[in-house]
Amino acid sequence: MTTDTDATRDRHTCTACGEAYPTERLLVLHRGARHPDDLDAAEVEAYREAYYEEEDELKSFRIRALGVLVLLYFGFLMLFIVFAS
Amino acid sequence: MTRLRPTSLRRFGLGLLLASLLSLLADPAAASNAAVGLAGASQDNLAVPRWLYLATGGATVGASALLASFVTDRRFIERVHLWQTGPEAGVSDGVLRALRVAGGVLGLAVLALAVYLGYTGPQIPTVSFAVIVVFAGLRAGYTMLSYLVADTWRALNPWRTVVSAVPNGFVSYPERLGRWPAVAGILALVWVETATAVTTRPSVLATALVAYSVVTLAGAVVVGADAWFDKVDPVSVFLHFYGRVAPVRLDDDGLSVRLPGMRLVTDDDLTDLGDVAVAVVLVWELTFSGFVTTEQGAAAVRWLAGVGLPPLFVYGLLYLGGFGVFLGLYVLAARVTARRIDTFETPLDLAVKFAPSLLAIAAGYHLAHYFGFFVSLSPMLVHALSSPLSSPSNPVVLTLPAWFGGLNVGFVLLGHLLAVWVAHSQAYRTFPSRLQAVRSQFPFVAVMILYTILSLWLISLPTASPPFL
Repeated sequence: MTTDTDATRDRHTCTACGEAYPTERLLVLHRGARHPDDLDAAEVEAYREAYYEEEDELKSFRIRALGVLVLLYFGFLMLFIVFAS
Repeated sequence: MTRLRPTSLRRFGLGLLLASLLSLLADPAAASNAAVGLAGASQDNLAVPRWLYLATGGATVGASALLASFVTDRRFIERVHLWQTGPEAGVSDGVLRALRVAGGVLGLAVLALAVYLGYTGPQIPTVSFAVIVVFAGLRAGYTMLSYLVADTWRALNPWRTVVSAVPNGFVSYPERLGRWPAVAGILALVWVETATAVTTRPSVLATALVAYSVVTLAGAVVVGADAWFDKVDPVSVFLHFYGRVAPVRLDDDGLSVRLPGMRLVTDDDLTDLGDVAVAVVLVWELTFSGFVTTEQGAAAVRWLAGVGLPPLFVYGLLYLGGFGVFLGLYVLAARVTARRIDTFETPLDLAVKFAPSLLAIAAGYHLAHYFGFFVSLSPMLVHALSSPLSSPSNPVVLTLPAWFGGLNVGFVLLGHLLAVWVAHSQAYRTFPSRLQAVRSQFPFVAVMILYTILSLWLISLPTASPPFL
């Protein structure tokens, strides 16, 4: 099922399973994760690159998530010290 | 899949997961004081203010989702939800057939006894076979068995046993109705349970059972047993949906055991909004019956009735309106996710894919609402089932220790944590990018936090009997 906005966007379709993705990068990641045996050498290289690029983004996400967890932890610690008796 | 990540990071993720489980064990202990204090007669020994207890519960779910998002190794996630024993080839056709026949006979015998003793037995709920078997048995204990161990209803279902023995399926079931008739049916049954005397007058319950049997048999003969019990029959749909959470399953492939809730990730048999509505209705009916049986809920209903609205209208509005809000919030989460993420998945696809995680939440709520009730009534249930024809002169009801209130907090949180993990696994199956998988869950987790806070609030309130009913 597609919406109106989808019709105007590029469809990058997987030749192995027919799934479509809005960007080339997502298709590369999909093929690397789902059809690792169908990749040729260039695709393996593209997947490796996309994977590491995403790894960097994930790293920055992890740092932010860790920050939120620390805030939550100490925030609740303070709340319990003040309000729980 | 190519392994590119160092194992140390995976260990880090696993360590965090374990840490979150430990924090789960620690958190209810801190929060349970509130529930236990509130369950008692005095509210003076309340150690933690209620808002803080609710915020802690919500934060536990949110923090677990964040912790789960640290686990980004697809292979590890897949290993968790695909882990299984079997399927054992040891179960022969003869044993299966014998089990089905035994289940069918047992189901029919219990239904017949419930109807017969409902009319002829003592008209006191605490010694009535019908009331005990239907509410302590089917509604509480058997439903727990369905999601904690295995879904056995298909073999036990007395109506299915009857319909399978006669010619059925004269009209094909209109597929566009999906499971919406079951949604309406579950809402109707919970309404009957809350608003009529089926829980207190055995003869009324027996009449309800007869009426239900007539409708079920007629419907199943017309559209066929498979379509009726898969899509329409509220009791079957209710139990089969809960059964998806169960670790054990006996099907055509044989007997297999999976980790609890992990079948929710891989079953892939929900298809449209009606199926999503069934999952939401399971969460909502427990929340609703929790609400109207609290002092605050009763006060709210009395206040609305005091303004001049008819009480039944107030209940109906709360009941259907609340269901609409629950379903709306969930669909909204799916819409927000579809908009935030670069994907061709439609909001409906996403709503359907993440809906099974709601069943883990429903199982947690069900356990929180019914575990204490079931344990305290279990001697009566055992007596009723072992000697149905002799009513006990002095029924035994176990008194529960105060820490049972703390267990309920744990059950609600456990259900949500399982749901967070199911949603996490599902997101990794759906999205090619791991960052998308992480971000796709945020709106759903926000809705889950809302559900958690609401449910923890309800179980912390003192109970009362609903007014005007």
